[in-house]
Amino acid sequence: MNKIVKSAVLLLASMLAIPALAHHSAAQFDFRNTVLVEGKVMEARFANPHMRLILEVTDAERGTRNIEFEGHSRNNMRRQGLMPDMFNSGDTITIRIAPMRSGEDGGYVTAVRIPDGTEIGAVTAAD
Amino acid sequence: MFNIKKAKVLKATRAATVLCAMLAAAAQAAEPDFSGAWTTYRATGAGAGAFAAPGGQPKLKPEAAKALADFTSVTEGTNYGAGNACVGYGMPGSMLGSGGYPMEIIQRPEQLFVIYEAHNEIRRFYVGDEAEDPKDFFPERNGYSSAHWEGERLIVETSRLKTQVDSRYPHSNQATVREVYYLDPPQENGARVLVAEMTMTDPLWLEEPFTTTKRWSEMADYHVMSYECSEPKWLDEMEMLYEKAGLEMLQE
Repeated sequence: MNKIVKSAVLLLASMLAIPALAHHSAAQFDFRNTVLVEGKVMEARFANPHMRLILEVTDAERGTRNIEFEGHSRNNMRRQGLMPDMFNSGDTITIRIAPMRSGEDGGYVTAVRIPDGTEIGAVTAAD
Repeated sequence: MFNIKKAKVLKATRAATVLCAMLAAAAQAAEPDFSGAWTTYRATGAGAGAFAAPGGQPKLKPEAAKALADFTSVTEGTNYGAGNACVGYGMPGSMLGSGGYPMEIIQRPEQLFVIYEAHNEIRRFYVGDEAEDPKDFFPERNGYSSAHWEGERLIVETSRLKTQVDSRYPHSNQATVREVYYLDPPQENGARVLVAEMTMTDPLWLEEPFTTTKRWSEMADYHVMSYECSEPKWLDEMEMLYEKAGLEMLQE
């Protein structure tokens, strides 16, 4: 699994097991250096203007915490082939994200990797 | 004799009526039907990067530049923005960009509906005598639009706009927008091409009229989606109320 962050602010968030920062301006996402993240779906809201996804993520460096990710509007998610049944609550999934430039937890969902390794979605910028 | 004359008159009247109907039908046929789903134009086979709004920016007068700078200073680096607040783009942003989302046109002889998928923004073009005095209507982000045909071109005049700084195309409430819609030859893949030449005039905020051209490709068999945006906020509020009451919330 990828290491995502190194922020002291987010360390607090991880200790409290609450989602990290919600909603960021688009410029804060690094679409040139996407990474994979695996986690258990705690909440997935397909909505406009942006989707909200909370994964329970565990890694050696930061332990277990809930991380909130943003994504396209549900309309544009659908156009990317990304549908709600790919984000069922309780499932462990792997997503590709544009991480936060600041290094904090979170990011912008660009694709979902399904079990055969195929990635669905090719988001290159926030909508 | 009288009856013969009467019959001739009736015959001539019928012929004239038929001729008028034919002329009216011909005139009607000259007006293209823009109905359909449209997306920002991209050349046949072009990738997904071609969804940008047309280039060019209005030349702002100093007071407008100041108003825009003020808006930028209070929102830059934050998540505050009209779109995130579920507020539509407003003219001319709705027509020129609309976030790259598709739009749908439904055309009736007396009225055209333009439905921009993003934020469910709707514009209504009232054609000919169907249009009323714009002054009788509230100012809106998309204004009030009157239209008329000039041959195969639809001329749309929009006024009653609100002052907007939260737009890529800032303008005062004195701005007016003229759009000229027409069809260009179809693309290689057969998709129809819709064009709108737009001029925004604003004696208060613009140094000169802002002119640009927007093009769309028709999306065959595409259904423009709805865009519910306020629901998440309401669900959060409901969730808060249920949690406070210690009740289970079943609504998703």
